[in-house]
Amino acid sequence: MKDIYDITIVGGGAAGLSAALEAYDPNIKLLIIERDQIFGGILNQCIHNGFGLHVFKEELTGPEYAQKLIDSVIKKNIEYILDTTVVDIKKEDIFTLTVSNIEHGEFEIKSKTIILTSGCYERSRGQISIPGDRPKGIMTAGSAQRYLNMDGYLVGKEIFILGSGDIGLIMARRMTLEGAHVLGVAELMPFSNGLTRNVVQCLNDFDIPLYLSHTVTDVVGKESLEAITIQEVDKDYNFIEGTQKTFKVDTLLLSVGLIPDVKLFESIAIDIDPLTKSAYVNQALETSIEGLFVCGNALHVHDLVDDVTIESQKAGRSAKKYILDAKKDKACKKVVDFDQLIRYIVPQSIDFNNLSQDVDLSFRTSKKIEKATFVVEQNGKIIKEVKAKYIVPAEMQKIKLSPSDFISKDDLYIHVKEMS
Amino acid sequence: MYDYTIIGAGIIGSLIARELSKYDLNVLVLEKENDVANVQTRANSAIVHSGHDPQYGTLKAKLSVLGNKLYDDLEKDLHISLLKTGAYVCAHDKDEEDILNDLYENAKLNKVNDMEFLNLSQAQLSEPNLSDDITKVLSLPTTKVCFPWEVAFFALENAINNGVELIRNSEIISIDHKNDIYILKDQNDQIYESKAIINAAGVYSDDIKDMIEDDAPFKITPRKGEYFVLDKSVRGFINHVLYPLPSKKGKGVLVTPQVHGNILLGPTSELVDDKGSISTSKTGLTYIKQHVTALAKNIPFELIIRSFAGVRATSTYKDFYIKESTSHKGFYHVAGIDSPGITAAPAIAKYLVDEIIKIKLPIKDSFTPTIAKKIVFNHLTKEEKIKKQKENPLYGRIICKCEHITEQEIIDAIHGPLGSDTIKGIKKRARAGSGICQGGYCESLIVKIIARETNKDLTQVDYDQKNTPILYKETKVSS
Repeated sequence: MKDIYDITIVGGGAAGLSAALEAYDPNIKLLIIERDQIFGGILNQCIHNGFGLHVFKEELTGPEYAQKLIDSVIKKNIEYILDTTVVDIKKEDIFTLTVSNIEHGEFEIKSKTIILTSGCYERSRGQISIPGDRPKGIMTAGSAQRYLNMDGYLVGKEIFILGSGDIGLIMARRMTLEGAHVLGVAELMPFSNGLTRNVVQCLNDFDIPLYLSHTVTDVVGKESLEAITIQEVDKDYNFIEGTQKTFKVDTLLLSVGLIPDVKLFESIAIDIDPLTKSAYVNQALETSIEGLFVCGNALHVHDLVDDVTIESQKAGRSAKKYILDAKKDKACKKVVDFDQLIRYIVPQSIDFNNLSQDVDLSFRTSKKIEKATFVVEQNGKIIKEVKAKYIVPAEMQKIKLSPSDFISKDDLYIHVKEMS
Repeated sequence: MYDYTIIGAGIIGSLIARELSKYDLNVLVLEKENDVANVQTRANSAIVHSGHDPQYGTLKAKLSVLGNKLYDDLEKDLHISLLKTGAYVCAHDKDEEDILNDLYENAKLNKVNDMEFLNLSQAQLSEPNLSDDITKVLSLPTTKVCFPWEVAFFALENAINNGVELIRNSEIISIDHKNDIYILKDQNDQIYESKAIINAAGVYSDDIKDMIEDDAPFKITPRKGEYFVLDKSVRGFINHVLYPLPSKKGKGVLVTPQVHGNILLGPTSELVDDKGSISTSKTGLTYIKQHVTALAKNIPFELIIRSFAGVRATSTYKDFYIKESTSHKGFYHVAGIDSPGITAAPAIAKYLVDEIIKIKLPIKDSFTPTIAKKIVFNHLTKEEKIKKQKENPLYGRIICKCEHITEQEIIDAIHGPLGSDTIKGIKKRARAGSGICQGGYCESLIVKIIARETNKDLTQVDYDQKNTPILYKETKVSS
């Protein structure tokens, strides 16, 4: 590995593979690094279906979706290394990745650009400070999913789930089908944090109660989990006395949020958006470090793998353009600003000197809204309006802007106009 | 027949074992838990205090100042991790400044070195995140931070190398004293005979005492302390241990940098009835958040990765109770070791052996005070890493991505001198799963490594205590 790669992709999940396929060019030296022994990332443990409707126009399981990408990567002869962890990234003129594996130990890889697709991790019990004992029997829904779907082991028989994220909902169904008893799902917000279809198909269809505006307030069990208590909260998240309910369970699964895993950024000074907890990017998905691109769940958490693929294709195209285009504009970054009904927007900035492709704004609202218009303004003038209905924070919203939509090179402002 | 049997393998029992292992004696350590350092030693602030706080003239004062110095020896001999942070005790107004002055006078009597007073702007030069409400600071440069589990592990490993025997999962249920011999029985009806007993049972030390004598010079009145842990990406936010002014309840809610880069916020201090209760509470955790802001501004609460609680062995005696039983010769109580117990631990061990037991034996020729330095792979230089990986390729596979822990380090933790076969045991030894994802990624890999290395089925790998497998059953088996 003494050569210099043009593009190195960190991560061989949906984002990494999709970016690689799009970045592929016979004149580009491309490498994918994956820490697991197989490609596919989290798709491998998502054995339920519902993937691929947008990208492949068919309904696939997670492993099937991954396999389609893997087959294409193999067919194109794209170079890759598996069972290899990236431990550090540094940049001087070009990037140096320090990586480690059994075959070579720790070694360095040089690359002109990097596409970081390191995915996300699940918030743990500690991060949300659930009080009580700390027995065995509490884990994230994703961990339980991995044990069940990849290793073939159930983690318990009497289950309660905190958080109505999609993984939690899907595990409620999955564990029921494997013979466990799911007593309920509690959600702090007054609405589910998962896709509506998952609430219907995973809870309603199996008569699993969803306790909205509830959270876990106690955990009991010195060695093994014995019981949990949930309690209702008011609209300011204060606990309502007298609403405690106790469930005798041996397992508490947590589906309380996913956080982009951008730990590698610690050794490379990159601008971070406190809202997404990931990199601040422009419409090419390029970070504040020239030549470093981020996409997929490492950039912000997506609802659908199809969205991950589409976004990662964009990152792949951007990196390819960066390598193949001799002319590199100096980035002129303009900010995308928004009102408080919007939780975050990606990309956070637009490079108006480099506006060759569409700008895809992805965002989430901060509350449930029946009916609204999303308004994009520049210089106080409306340049785009998009109407939407039944808007929930759990479902990502999108606005596409073509280069001709812009009337200047000034900041954008996006706001939500609620309709009654 | 043992010469000495130590009940309890926390940091105190382990350091006493090491102290006794200098001599030609048969020494046994009995631990009720399935792991060393599992109760009080597992959950505390990890501070090696300068010895400023205990009242002059007490054993606590004497042994904490001495213990602080002895940690430098442990660092040399056992290669323990020691962070030389220094500490700031912070006053907020005139009344508190008066108390701070008293504290300074007390510390001077205790022979604490190098102290000085700072005003806010002087203190903020080195700690810019110090709260702006602070008016005066007492700087205690000799304050350090250790990693208590590691101190216990390494001390006991050193003791074992020098001939001490350790038995785990042995909870003493009765003690008889006949013909100058103590007969101990554990919950498995195992009998141990010993000429002398050292009661280092922490919060259970009064239960052990009650098995042998009725008059009660001390009783344990356990106090619970709750804590938050901030992720190690917080490193550098605060570099000193920050104390508010001490109160009757203890040293208050502190900000404490840890050896691995994390920061602890806490503890609370609540009397509890149940010695085994290490649950956290909404009230306690809220209390920490409210009080810690008096010490530091801009605390990144969003970096909280864990909360925990520990119970400290506060006693009715008000000082460390380190004495031989009046009615039973050769029975020594090392009890009531609450804060500054970690600090005093090496001094307690010396004090017990030299001044209470008064062992007159010569140090045996074979005694070795040192152990081999443990490999923390991520701390090695590039060249050392390459060399190690050539010898053993498993140093190349990273299992815990957050803490950069390699497969070989996990295998070492399983098979080491004080090896373990539980997920928590591996976490305590190798730090796998201690990072921001709290094992979300690596735990399933660790379960498989433990199962492989110990020839167990995956459903037999315990989380922490006995019979706590995290996998309940295999799904696709024909029965």
